[in-house]
Amino acid sequence: MEMKPVNNTSLKNNKNFFAWFKYKWSNEPLFSTAIALIIMVILQTLVLGFDYDSVGSWFQSWTNNWINILRNNAGIGIVALGMTFVIMTGGIDLAVGSTLVATGAFAMLLLDTGTRGLLGMVGMSGLPAFVVTVILVLLFGYLLGSLIGVSITKGKVPPFIATLAAMMIFRSVTQHFTQGYNTTVPAEFLQIASFRMGDYMIMPIIYWAIIAYILYYVSKRTTFGRQIIAVGSNERAAKLSGVNVEKVKVRVYALMGLLVSIAAIIQVSRIGSMDFSNAGRGMEMDAIAAAVVGGTSMSGGRGFILGTVYGMLIIAVMNNLLNLFGVPPFLREAFKGLIVIAAVLLQKKEKTS
Amino acid sequence: MIIEMNSIRKSFGSNDVLKDVSLSLEGGEICALLGENGAGKSTLMNILGGVHQMDQGSITIDGKSQQFSTPAQSQEAGIAFIHQELNLINDLPIYENMFLGREIKTKRGSLDLERMFQETKEMFEKMNVDLDPKTMVRDLDSSYKQIVEICRAMMTNASIIIMDEPTTSLTDREIERVFTMMKTMKDHNVGIIFISHKLNEVLQVCDRYLVLRDGNLVAEGNVSEVTTNDLAHFMVGYNVRTESLLREKELGEEVLSVEALTYNHTFKDINFSVKAGEVVGVTGLLGDGRSELFQSIFGADDISSGKIYLNEKEVKITSTTQAINEGIAYLPRNRKENAIIGDMDIMENASIVTWPKFSKRGVIDQKKQQDTFEKQRKTLRLKMGKLTDSITSLSGGNQQKVVLAKWLASNPKLLILDNPTQGVDVGAKEDIYDIILKLADENIAIVVLSSEAHEIIRVCDRALVMYHGVIQGEVKKETMNEHNIMSLATGGQLT
Repeated sequence: MEMKPVNNTSLKNNKNFFAWFKYKWSNEPLFSTAIALIIMVILQTLVLGFDYDSVGSWFQSWTNNWINILRNNAGIGIVALGMTFVIMTGGIDLAVGSTLVATGAFAMLLLDTGTRGLLGMVGMSGLPAFVVTVILVLLFGYLLGSLIGVSITKGKVPPFIATLAAMMIFRSVTQHFTQGYNTTVPAEFLQIASFRMGDYMIMPIIYWAIIAYILYYVSKRTTFGRQIIAVGSNERAAKLSGVNVEKVKVRVYALMGLLVSIAAIIQVSRIGSMDFSNAGRGMEMDAIAAAVVGGTSMSGGRGFILGTVYGMLIIAVMNNLLNLFGVPPFLREAFKGLIVIAAVLLQKKEKTS
Repeated sequence: MIIEMNSIRKSFGSNDVLKDVSLSLEGGEICALLGENGAGKSTLMNILGGVHQMDQGSITIDGKSQQFSTPAQSQEAGIAFIHQELNLINDLPIYENMFLGREIKTKRGSLDLERMFQETKEMFEKMNVDLDPKTMVRDLDSSYKQIVEICRAMMTNASIIIMDEPTTSLTDREIERVFTMMKTMKDHNVGIIFISHKLNEVLQVCDRYLVLRDGNLVAEGNVSEVTTNDLAHFMVGYNVRTESLLREKELGEEVLSVEALTYNHTFKDINFSVKAGEVVGVTGLLGDGRSELFQSIFGADDISSGKIYLNEKEVKITSTTQAINEGIAYLPRNRKENAIIGDMDIMENASIVTWPKFSKRGVIDQKKQQDTFEKQRKTLRLKMGKLTDSITSLSGGNQQKVVLAKWLASNPKLLILDNPTQGVDVGAKEDIYDIILKLADENIAIVVLSSEAHEIIRVCDRALVMYHGVIQGEVKKETMNEHNIMSLATGGQLT
């Protein structure tokens, strides 16, 4: 008992910052992730260098670099947010890449300006066609996700198996029905992702930010968001507390499908086409990696939407750095792997100390 | 063999958990270690088991000073710690479990299953255990799992065995089995430290007792010189009531009644009813089907046939969500597995049930949740820190009060309490009994499921006794005693 006041005064004298830092480090899971991100950004800024005529042109170049990073990662960043919810329920979704292709193909079939365009057949074009397309594609993504969710809850298929099967089925069926056709997307539709605000093409970034904010709010403040944690942390206890576990799970996978379809729309409207055999391959692993780096526990329960955004940015900035350093492309995945391991080790240390 | 722990001190941060505690134990002696949750029992045993290091004090075995900085060193010195959560692998047979971590290998490096089997068999014969070593651990009931762990400890030539609440989840018959085993160990000159909350058992099986309170040793002596009342008094520091808490009251309308309720072989043809303001006890031995019955009524499991009436209207309950909307609350047994959500804080654990009710368009009304909880907190005498502290930072009794708070927040008209005082210390137990009676006064219909007959006798107006999935009989207030309950619970009739 006599020790306590002594400790307190010594804290107040000069260890204030370190004590605060140590407390935050070991008690706030997002703190270490945020620190890691800040360090990466500083490093990246240093590597970019200050070899410019003026502060203005340096800032210009720095900003452009960042806009590129963010825009290139917006689609996968949105998918990673949904993945965070899925993992928090104790599940996993391996089918996101294939769902991306399926919903992307659906969008292109609806919009095609050639003979196969479904909306063209019913005489729809221009803005009404775009609105209908977006709504139908979102619904389609939601439906595919719900299907996965129902097979997991009603069918009692483990999430890994159910989504592995969906991953194979969705892509294969999409490829079969789209073979031999070249679809053309109307140029105006591309505005969804390519619209310029001033000099900047930042629409995908805005979508990402808005969705991240909404999902952050959902995870913190809504019944659905909190029930996700309850289900992932202790499913039996959640059920015995009146949580409709099956409904929560189906909704989480449906939301995942919806978010993937948004990513699909962004991708289609950025480049006007999609390579159905390769698009989205490995997307599930990148999304899982972002969530894990952001502190989400693979065994369910613990997870952070904000952490996943940080995690995505850490991976993105690292890719950018490797690019700037001229690291050979094949080696880059290895660094991604190291980051994931490092993040998990960091979080493990927190738990035990 | 004599083990002595002298003047042990231990603190975690500024919290002094043990203040100068001494303990001695001889081979062939069973010593009860008693105390409320947080009294320091676990810390003391963890020091002996090498999990924690003491700040001050000494441990000697047969006069030789010992230092345990790892569990392995403690085991080497002949101390075995049998934890509440058993360390057995369900998917391996008994004899492989017996050699977990120190498997016998053949010259070629593969497992010598034959020898492991033989040695297990010999050990079982020595200890009078009637088990086939080839049985899968999964197929054993909890008492046999305990016994396997004990035999495993004996195999490592343990001369001191620490048993941490070994009987918590056991039925009376299983407890008997473990006690017989303990007596056999005693005959083999093994010393046992027995941690338990069940004072009757202490009187039945122990030679000596030691009581800790707030990190101090407050009493010790021979068990033959004390009563359970004395021990309870030592543990809490004041006199504990043991008299029945019941009083006369007017009962209200019928809240729940069931007709011929059946689910496969778990329970069959169940008929009973509960009135507003009534406290009905349901008891029996393990496998009586009472938890399954009420989980089905609560919508967590199915029913194959039969009818459920709430306020005399027939209802079909297909989900727990619906049950809550109908005004049913169910506090489950085995708090850790069924009620506590480890990743959520105290406030959230106390409000999960009412999230849908206290939210607008899916957004939770935090203020309303907090106000409701603050009120509960006072009536429940809940001891806790911040609302955002982890639920696991609370003692068992306070965790249980949080679970109770979440159900009271839903304003139930029927409250089902399944083993409400499981893993709860004496003081909190009394609080929970008080709360039950207070709620009955507020005209809530209450069902208390318990395996402890004296608990049923203390708080219930009448009791249904179940035996293998059927209601074997009902005991009225006037005839309620342990003898009557036990004869029904074992399949007999009232005489």
